[in-house]
Amino acid sequence: MNKLLKKIDGERLLLGLAAPVLAVVTALVVTALVLLASGKEPFQAFNVMLDYGSKADSQIYILNKATTYYLAGIAVALGFRMNLFNIGVDGQYRMAAFFAAVVGAQLHLPGVLHILVIVLVAMLVGAMWAGIAGLLKVTRGVSEVISTIMLNAIATSVIAYLLSPGRLAELDASGNVSTKVIPDSGHLFNIATKGGSLYGFIFVAVIVGIAFWWGLSRTRFGFDLRTAGGSDSAALASGVNVKRMVVTAMLLSGAIAGLVGMPELLNNSYQYSLNFPTGIGFTGISVALLGRNNPIGVAIGALLWAFIERATGHLEFAGYDKEIAGVVQGVIVLAVVIAYELVRRYGLRRQQSRVGRQLAAQAVPSKNQEVSA
Amino acid sequence: MANHDIDITVSRGTVHALVGENGAGKSTLMKILYGMQRPDEGTITVNGERVELHTPADAIARGIGMVHQHFMLADNLTVLENVVLGAERLHGIGGRARNAIKKISDAYGLDVRPDVLVEHLGVADRQRIEILKVLYRGARTLILDEPTAVLVPQEVEALFDNLRELKSEGLTVIFISHKLDEVLSVADAITVIRRGTTVASVNPREVNARQLAELMVGSELPSPETRESTVTDVPMLTVDGLRLSEIDPDGIDRVVLDSIGFTIHKGEVLGIAGVEGNGQAELVEAIMGMRKPDNGTVTLDGKDISQALTRTRREAGIGYVPEDRHRHALLLEAPLWENRILGHVTEQPNSRRGILNPAAARRDTERIVAEYDVRTPGIDVTAASLSGGNQQKLIVGREMSHNPKLLIAAHPTRGVDVGAQAQIWDQIREARREGLAVLLISADLDELIGLSDTLRVMYRGRLVADADPSTVTPEELGSAMTGAARGHLEHPAQDAADTADETDQAGE
Amino acid sequence: MRRVTQLAAVVLSGSLGMASLAACGSTSDSGSTAGSGSTASAGAGGGGLKVGMAYDIGGRGDQSFNDSAARGLDQAKSTLGASVKELSAGANETDADKTQRLKDLAGAGYNPVIAIGYSYAGSLATVAKEFPNTKFAIVDSTVDAPNVTNLVFTEEQSSYLVGVAAALKSKSHKIGFIGGVNVPLINKFEAGFTAGVKATDPSATVTPQYLSQPPDTKGFSSPDLGKAAAQGMLDKGIDVVYAAAGSSGNGAIEAVAGKSGAWAIGVDSDQYNQDALAKNKAVILTSALKNVDVAVLDYIKSFKDNSLKTGTVTFDLKSGGVGYSKSNPAFASDSATIAKIETAKQAIVDGKVTPPTTVKK
Repeated sequence: MNKLLKKIDGERLLLGLAAPVLAVVTALVVTALVLLASGKEPFQAFNVMLDYGSKADSQIYILNKATTYYLAGIAVALGFRMNLFNIGVDGQYRMAAFFAAVVGAQLHLPGVLHILVIVLVAMLVGAMWAGIAGLLKVTRGVSEVISTIMLNAIATSVIAYLLSPGRLAELDASGNVSTKVIPDSGHLFNIATKGGSLYGFIFVAVIVGIAFWWGLSRTRFGFDLRTAGGSDSAALASGVNVKRMVVTAMLLSGAIAGLVGMPELLNNSYQYSLNFPTGIGFTGISVALLGRNNPIGVAIGALLWAFIERATGHLEFAGYDKEIAGVVQGVIVLAVVIAYELVRRYGLRRQQSRVGRQLAAQAVPSKNQEVSA
Repeated sequence: MANHDIDITVSRGTVHALVGENGAGKSTLMKILYGMQRPDEGTITVNGERVELHTPADAIARGIGMVHQHFMLADNLTVLENVVLGAERLHGIGGRARNAIKKISDAYGLDVRPDVLVEHLGVADRQRIEILKVLYRGARTLILDEPTAVLVPQEVEALFDNLRELKSEGLTVIFISHKLDEVLSVADAITVIRRGTTVASVNPREVNARQLAELMVGSELPSPETRESTVTDVPMLTVDGLRLSEIDPDGIDRVVLDSIGFTIHKGEVLGIAGVEGNGQAELVEAIMGMRKPDNGTVTLDGKDISQALTRTRREAGIGYVPEDRHRHALLLEAPLWENRILGHVTEQPNSRRGILNPAAARRDTERIVAEYDVRTPGIDVTAASLSGGNQQKLIVGREMSHNPKLLIAAHPTRGVDVGAQAQIWDQIREARREGLAVLLISADLDELIGLSDTLRVMYRGRLVADADPSTVTPEELGSAMTGAARGHLEHPAQDAADTADETDQAGE
Repeated sequence: MRRVTQLAAVVLSGSLGMASLAACGSTSDSGSTAGSGSTASAGAGGGGLKVGMAYDIGGRGDQSFNDSAARGLDQAKSTLGASVKELSAGANETDADKTQRLKDLAGAGYNPVIAIGYSYAGSLATVAKEFPNTKFAIVDSTVDAPNVTNLVFTEEQSSYLVGVAAALKSKSHKIGFIGGVNVPLINKFEAGFTAGVKATDPSATVTPQYLSQPPDTKGFSSPDLGKAAAQGMLDKGIDVVYAAAGSSGNGAIEAVAGKSGAWAIGVDSDQYNQDALAKNKAVILTSALKNVDVAVLDYIKSFKDNSLKTGTVTFDLKSGGVGYSKSNPAFASDSATIAKIETAKQAIVDGKVTPPTTVKK
């Protein structure tokens, strides 16, 4: 019996890995075909990518970027876990980072406290912005997909309005508009390496990942959340207050989304300006899909994503089109979605027939052996 | 392998019943015949020709069609659209298709209206559409997977008339059922499957239900009847003046439950009979706190829980075996041990102070699996991979594991084989001896009569009649279920006459 | 499940380990200078003048100022024999991406390296420090470093002049301004233009409209948005439309061409002479010129001649870095109008008039 369990576990692991591997391989093949079709040699390109992507400064770059993507991925994954499509991580983190930057620049507090306040403001703003979508869903039945997309646009407008000289920002000499710089006490530590500085926020991301895993798999709340995600009706019958769960999950997702802008804000730019990175929320969706909403999977997805961006960024230098990055990423997401569904169905069918077989084997051990021998 | 040495021969123009316990391999056999799964060895011969069925499309091409237990219809499409969906090439989607449907419907007495939206149809109508879908695709052999599980006695009769019609037109029907009386009444031949192999082929005229059941289980059967009363006079659940109205899809405010009141005492099983859709599901959900009634009170063990959340009610000691276990009682893609936590996440041994205790939950799942004879290779398989009966045993085991004061059991043995059925009955009886109150809702009148201490009949959202299970007959109950009789059902003929006036006064 | 965790932990720690190990390994700069022989040598012919160019989003082919810079580069290629390497920014970039792009170029031996657009300011400040022996230039922004030349333009001056023209040509006294994206750079155009209009015809009104808000930059590249905005203005009785909106302006010009008596004013290059607009060129009254190409070419030239100036080089009316075009005969022959514009121009050159650079909000 024990041996049997292990076998199923092993197979589950294998099936779990099958989908992303399948997806990445498919993406590579399609990319190779695209490169071939455009008259370029694909293996040279892959070679350049690998070579460049593994350099020390590339690694730091990848880790730094992956930190951001990971947080975005976890924010999205939390929603996904209960069947909520938080498309609005993008708007949430931008609002959060903007207000955190504004507040952070006004404060003069001792180091840790200063950083803590900034991070808290970001999480609160993110949660609030996402919470609007949650409330609309439970009170008015508005699909969170629609409302979060709209909230993204609203966030853009709100920030554009406030981020202008004379309001909450100022015009600097270089022609950029930015909030005031956060004083030194609000800067998070960077780790100096030969490849550049590694953002200290990576540790926060790791903690978020662990908290995500523990919270979902080891707490009542997490169980309720997964139940609501697995089956609305079963959740209702089992006593989960589904409406409250929707709001709570959106708030949490938004709070994590609020952290997305923090590595950039606390470790690099120390202010919110016109060139504050955008669109990370959407990357987060891809990364969450790629990582199957699993904290480790999302980490791998985030690293892969950052690697692709880093490595393809250099492809242009080597004479390839930089759009290859988009092709690879697009194909991966498509392939992942398809591969997961295929593997999931295959796994379920396989398990069903396996259970049947084992039950039959238990029932008539002697006879069955003769027959199947 | 789930099946080995299956030998079955079905003659054309007959209704051939296939009976066996859950997990005996009926579904696997059907999947093989319908091309959804491939056999490791052995052959299938259709009309004297050896065939290999790789996909359902192959099976359909050979004239084999399947009516699944769970209907596969799109609610928001009309009957016509549902039928032609995926078979547009046969007769198009317009007038020709409509004519073809009419023709089939008339030929077999299916009485199908092509332009009605499926969401407005009842279960029996939906089933007829499923049958029509299969016939429309040219099937000459129909496989029906537990078709009567969802029907009331009158509907079952209508279905059997349809099947006889099909048979007389030369079609072949393979019929899977647990209800042995039905099998005996409609089948021309019966094959019994036990543990993956065919153990007997019998002629329905030569066996009775009990013999058939014993063939299925391979041993002597327990009886569902117990008559020693354990009813006390301590009220456990009191429902008073419950009223619930809801807006139906047509936008009309409809009263679903009206002035419902009853009391279940410790050690009492209250059975509620009724044709499905007369408010039983809503009643259960109102007691569980899943629906908010307009008014009325629910009192459990002296405490008013009318405003309590579902979770609070569960913690207060309500065990719940829902009607639709896939929708309400299981996380199909989660492992068994997580399903064991479902609904009781706040209780020991599943968690303590908000933190789950997976190790304890797993241990307790092992215990339930052993005690309730859940046939599974382990507690890490998904709930979806268990057969219906074993899923149900797990659910009953789980609900009984938290010492409930009240068990709400809606169709607890639906789709469950005789062996498991007997076990579930035993569990309910035993708990009742220990002072449990049970609200039993069932479409199986024998089960209701056999288990209940008190019977009530529900019709159009009201409790219209009551009966003493020791004297009432299924026929009497049946007529009350259709609204033909009201009041106390002791002396059927006379009572029906007495209550006729009452009916008119209380009428809608 | 547990095993997945373990496995992934190994993978993760592996990748982290690699990063820390790499502290004593190679970086992409050291690697690419050694290993990029094939890529760099491709352009390293001739006199050894290797120019690196980092475009803003859109890159070559954006019909706007990236293209204008590209024209300057192309001239440098043909007249000075420079070999070039062009990279462009992608969407959703951080400063780290831009830093890496500049480093790629400088690291591979390109000198000078020219960054197009203010968004490179932050990253250039970092890279300029790391490559003190490489000369850098940035267009539309200022970076304070000894090896950086800031190429900035007085867009408000040229906009002021076309504002004068607009005020003189408008019959309805209603004038429209279409900005691509609401950023300070484009605000400069609006401010100068509005001042020019008001100075000429105090009764005229200027209606500004921006096609997108930052960080959304689609306003620079959406002719459909430009067309819709212009159409809306025309419907309100506006009869002169100035579009400082990259290729979105093409849409605006198209809309104006559909209404007789209305004028459009182009931007950056002389749009009357652009092939893409040949069909509608009759309605292009004039264009506010911003000669990025000239600036780029001059910069490369001065580098080659060792006469390079670092610090800020301002391209204004006086130096001919900005101006207005007279290629539309209908405009050039209107001597009364031209005379008034020339008067305004002289006033600016003489310092008597200083057009504002920011819009009052």
